[in-house]
Amino acid sequence: MRRLYDINFFVKLAAGFLVMLLAWVAPDWRYGVPLAVANLIFLAAIRIPSLGGYIKGVTLLVGLVIASWMANLLIQGMGALDALLLSAGMAARLVTTTAAFYFIMETSSPGSILAACSAAGLPPVATLVLSLTFGIIPMLRDDFDRIADAQRARGMEIDDVPLPTRLRFALARGVPLLVQSIRMAHAISLSLSLYGFDVKRRRTSWRNVGLLVEPRLALKEEDHGH
Amino acid sequence: MLQLRNVTVGFGDTHPALAEADLDIAEGQRLLVCGAAGSGKSTLLQVAAGLVPHLVRPPLFSGAVTLRGRELGQHAKDELFTTISIVSQNVEEQLWDLGVEDLIAFPLENRGTPRAAIRDRLRELLCDLELQALGGRRVLTLSGGERRMVAIATALASKPRLLVLDEPTTGLDPAARARLVRILKKLAPDIPALLVAEQDPASIVATIDSIALLKGGRLAPAAPANDIIADQAPWQEAGVLPPRRSRAPRRDAAAGPALLSVSGLRTRLARADGRPVLEDVGFEIRAGEVVGLIGRNGAGKTTLFQSVLGLSRIGAGAIVIAGERAEGWTPARRARSIAYVPQNVRRILFNMTVLDEVVFAITAGRSNDASAAEKATAALAKYGLRAFADKNPFALSARQQALLGLACADAAGTAIAILDEPLLARDLHGRHMLGRFLDTLLSAGRAVMLISHDLELVDDVASRTLILEGGRIAFDGPPDAAWQSPAFAALGWAGPYGLTAGEAA
Repeated sequence: MRRLYDINFFVKLAAGFLVMLLAWVAPDWRYGVPLAVANLIFLAAIRIPSLGGYIKGVTLLVGLVIASWMANLLIQGMGALDALLLSAGMAARLVTTTAAFYFIMETSSPGSILAACSAAGLPPVATLVLSLTFGIIPMLRDDFDRIADAQRARGMEIDDVPLPTRLRFALARGVPLLVQSIRMAHAISLSLSLYGFDVKRRRTSWRNVGLLVEPRLALKEEDHGH
Repeated sequence: MLQLRNVTVGFGDTHPALAEADLDIAEGQRLLVCGAAGSGKSTLLQVAAGLVPHLVRPPLFSGAVTLRGRELGQHAKDELFTTISIVSQNVEEQLWDLGVEDLIAFPLENRGTPRAAIRDRLRELLCDLELQALGGRRVLTLSGGERRMVAIATALASKPRLLVLDEPTTGLDPAARARLVRILKKLAPDIPALLVAEQDPASIVATIDSIALLKGGRLAPAAPANDIIADQAPWQEAGVLPPRRSRAPRRDAAAGPALLSVSGLRTRLARADGRPVLEDVGFEIRAGEVVGLIGRNGAGKTTLFQSVLGLSRIGAGAIVIAGERAEGWTPARRARSIAYVPQNVRRILFNMTVLDEVVFAITAGRSNDASAAEKATAALAKYGLRAFADKNPFALSARQQALLGLACADAAGTAIAILDEPLLARDLHGRHMLGRFLDTLLSAGRAVMLISHDLELVDDVASRTLILEGGRIAFDGPPDAAWQSPAFAALGWAGPYGLTAGEAA
């Protein structure tokens, strides 16, 4: 499974778009739902990190989509079963789409994205935007969990309380998360300035990049380059 | 090579962070700047490294900074930041979620260095800084000490002429500090000049040749290290604990009943080889005790208190808090008996004002007790934070946040407080505040667990010492006996105050 992490970011991105395209061209729920389920099984099989959190989020998404679509379709006079199946088809498309991008996000480190972009000759700004977009979300998620632990360690009961209270406490994490995001942005900005990032200068990479991106430097092997 | 003339920097407070500072750094010089927390060390180093005012523009800046005879502003950014490299005290400010090799290679990649040259330099740095084992790891998964060494490797990537290190020993255990000094000495031919700021000069003195003391933003002229290191007065005037000070009188503690008992603790969290981080940990903390916990970086000290607090799941063992089995308690319930103050207090803040933070420590968000605000205000006054009650806690300095951590733990009234590497204890004022905190808790029959790499601090304040090694408590007893124990000898560290076996008692 480790090899999945080493696949070139652009190969994963292309595969993700292809899977998403399949989900959206699927004519109805009979194709969409199995595709969504297959994606979830794939994520479980490769032991993607934090799958439990993703499943919770996606369950909430499915519930909201089905409820809102069914209400709308029933008001328009559609039969209950037809409305349910149509809503399920839409929810399945969203599950497949989010699963594909969750896979890309979790299996692509900012470093491997930087390397893939530099090797592809992308402008430095595009390189930076892509690596930050896909790299910063897991960092913010980790910070969100860390703040929850800080709340627990300070005596805030967030585990053994009703759901509305839990949601209210989760919202209270917004302020420190915002502060942390600003600090992170400052750290990245400082790091870019100190270490010579220049939008007018093409970057290079220490990694050998092909369909796979070299995950670590071999200390004793000869570097043949690519 | 580098000159600062009459430099004053202010960040909007009443007093400037740095006032009329003059500094000269010549090729071959290795200068240590010492001062208490908040004395202006970081500001001085940021000016010397060109961060202030070129990347960070303070409201007040005056004076001149020249590098090789030219104003810093006349140097192109690339030229400036390849000639001078800085590693901040808080290395997280210079890191993001890259791999180890990515981060070290980052300056070279950005400057378009060919791949073969980057790979050669990477190999050289990984070997020179003994970082081979970290290859392929993501930086944010490393320990604090490992991150610092990777940040130093990154700073060295472009072969700077002046390396600037702000509190480089923060978070390092004594062996890691010794390794850092050894590496800096080994790399001396490649680093023409070195500027270091530290509160604890003893750990870094072997690699520097001159010392300048900083007090309240004012920098004294540099003096040869040997002339100043053994003298007590200049250090005390600067508010810093003298490096060759005498051993403090021992705190005698009459231990009361057990407040926390841990036995047979095994964690689910495992090391790379599959062994649990903690395998069979057992200890007690009794009323009226200060228990020092020491161990190597990565020994499992953080995991231990996380397990006790319920933040890390355990595979086996018993945790008894005030006579009750607590394994089934939520972390919040345990926290009502055990307060935790991390090294970086910012990590546990989440309220909108300083006062709210202390009120929360008292009420845990459960009620709006009218007397809580009054108690909180008194706690803030005790630690010199009364004037900051309405400020946002994230706007405080690191030192003020550390004091806020003490105020919260004090006001919470928990039976036990865990202090994780309290950095404010490295200067005279901070040590005074820590003493006030310990006296308050001990006189109320409460107890403190102190986790620290600062063996002098442990020797000064602890009534009992635990050594965590190999997933177990390898020693549990008085500090004097700890420094003579086989468990301590196995760590390979020098004892506090230069003590060796036979001298401690």
